[in-house]
Amino acid sequence: MRLAAGILLLILAALTTRGALADQLVTDLSEHQISIRSNFTGTEILIFGAVEAEDPTNLSTERDIVVVVTGPEGPVTVRRKDRVAGIWINYDAVRFERVPSFYSVSSTRPLTRIVSMDTRTIEGLGLRHIGLGVATGLSPTGAETALQEDELKIFSQALLRNKQNQNLYRAEPSGVAFLGRSLFRATVDIPSNVPNGLYTAKVYLVSDGQISDAASAPLFVVKSGMERAIHAFAHEQPLLYGIFAVVFATFVGWAATLIFRD
Amino acid sequence: MFQIYLPIAEMPVNIFLILGMGGVVGFLSGMFGVGGGFLMTPLLIFTGIPPAVAVATQANQTIASSISGVVAHWRRSAVDFKMGGVLMIGGVIGAVAGVYLFAYVRALGQVDLMISLSYVLFLGVIGSLMLNESVRALIAVRQGRSPASANRSHHSWIHGLPLKMRFRRSKLYISAIPPIAIGIFVGVLVAIMGVSGGFVMVPAMIYLLRMPTNVVIGTSLFQIIFVTALVTVLHAVENQAVDILLAFLLLLGGVVGAQFGARAGQKLAGEQLRALLGLIVLLVGLRLGFDLVVQPDELFSLTSAVTP
Repeated sequence: MRLAAGILLLILAALTTRGALADQLVTDLSEHQISIRSNFTGTEILIFGAVEAEDPTNLSTERDIVVVVTGPEGPVTVRRKDRVAGIWINYDAVRFERVPSFYSVSSTRPLTRIVSMDTRTIEGLGLRHIGLGVATGLSPTGAETALQEDELKIFSQALLRNKQNQNLYRAEPSGVAFLGRSLFRATVDIPSNVPNGLYTAKVYLVSDGQISDAASAPLFVVKSGMERAIHAFAHEQPLLYGIFAVVFATFVGWAATLIFRD
Repeated sequence: MFQIYLPIAEMPVNIFLILGMGGVVGFLSGMFGVGGGFLMTPLLIFTGIPPAVAVATQANQTIASSISGVVAHWRRSAVDFKMGGVLMIGGVIGAVAGVYLFAYVRALGQVDLMISLSYVLFLGVIGSLMLNESVRALIAVRQGRSPASANRSHHSWIHGLPLKMRFRRSKLYISAIPPIAIGIFVGVLVAIMGVSGGFVMVPAMIYLLRMPTNVVIGTSLFQIIFVTALVTVLHAVENQAVDILLAFLLLLGGVVGAQFGARAGQKLAGEQLRALLGLIVLLVGLRLGFDLVVQPDELFSLTSAVTP
């Protein structure tokens, strides 16, 4: 019994040492806060790092890097149009509770060639594996309905398609480049229509198809500029904003009568 | 390069496109002496501005154009303030009801449909009426007859209503109920369509209330300032849909366009002008209707609760 326990301890120790010696990541972002003018045409962040190989002399290990940047989550309603009495109107809908506002996955090679389907599902790697939260079917009157499996698939695919068209979801299968054997860098495009908030940049190191290390870093996106100030004013002080809009229009109308007095 | 980001519509637009649209609609409104909101809102929708933002912003813009319009009428004392006040009571009721209806329908995801349908209906009816009337007049002129004057029948039932008031400036002694009812109807139109409602208000004042034509425009403009102001504040509070940057750009173009339009309008005959305007109104209405009937490329749309 004692012997057995001793062997177990030895095996455990060997495993943990092996873990400590496994390939490791050292990463950083070019900036942890991006302050972007609202009328900007988009910007990009640079994510870079190095792989500290367990055994630098072993050149046979295949290493890949996957970089995932996700934006703040929130509920999204996906509406489907249908023809009613000859015209196309929003008919039924599905509400997803926790949809990332932004999702970008970059990798050294296409994900399907790097990691297994199971790993992609568990880690949420790739556009088709983004967690969207609880889904609720909605009838045209807004009442909750039972949601069929195939319907759920149609609506979640529609969500992905729309998000991709808005450039908010993207996959870059060759977006990460190795510079030599251990250094890597990835640039992630941040389009102009992203929301403010706390983003997460997560870097995965994959050695021979297994995730051997992961590191994540927070990224704050803050919009600035006049347009952002107007937006914040309209949403945080709606009454004052409305009164301001009226006073402003009154002033412009009055000014116009002075200019064109003749 | 000339892109500007609209803070509430949340989309980049070409600054010259918006200025140009303001200018063209301003030109037409100066030429025809109409508000132009019923053309501007569909144009904004065609450029991809969310319909709710187009409507609320148009209401905001109408304040400015009504103020610059009312000053001239006020100098000629062509404003019946008492009648304007009574119309305004109805306008306030209609505006509040309209904005809350708007917010309710928006929560159901059907506000774009409501806006499009009301525009198709109104532009269709008004465009047909204008075109019909002006073409008849043109034919009459060509055949050498003088255009038949509008048949002003007496609406005796209006004179039987209670709550009679004296409107000195309009030389009327009538019940307050019809002006309040007209005010309510126009208030709802302002709230859900963003238009000044002059195309309903002015004929109703002339043919239903039988007000003298010289005070009609001034009084209509006077009361619409307050109704559009209220609608702007309510839309800002309930729907956060008023884009002041967009309103400002449209006004800038509109003020300049209206000056040229007014000059151009003096060179054209009245019937031809109205036939032309009727045609434009009909075409815009048809285009909106076409968009409702044709199957869209993308059947799915996203509504996010997170405000970017």
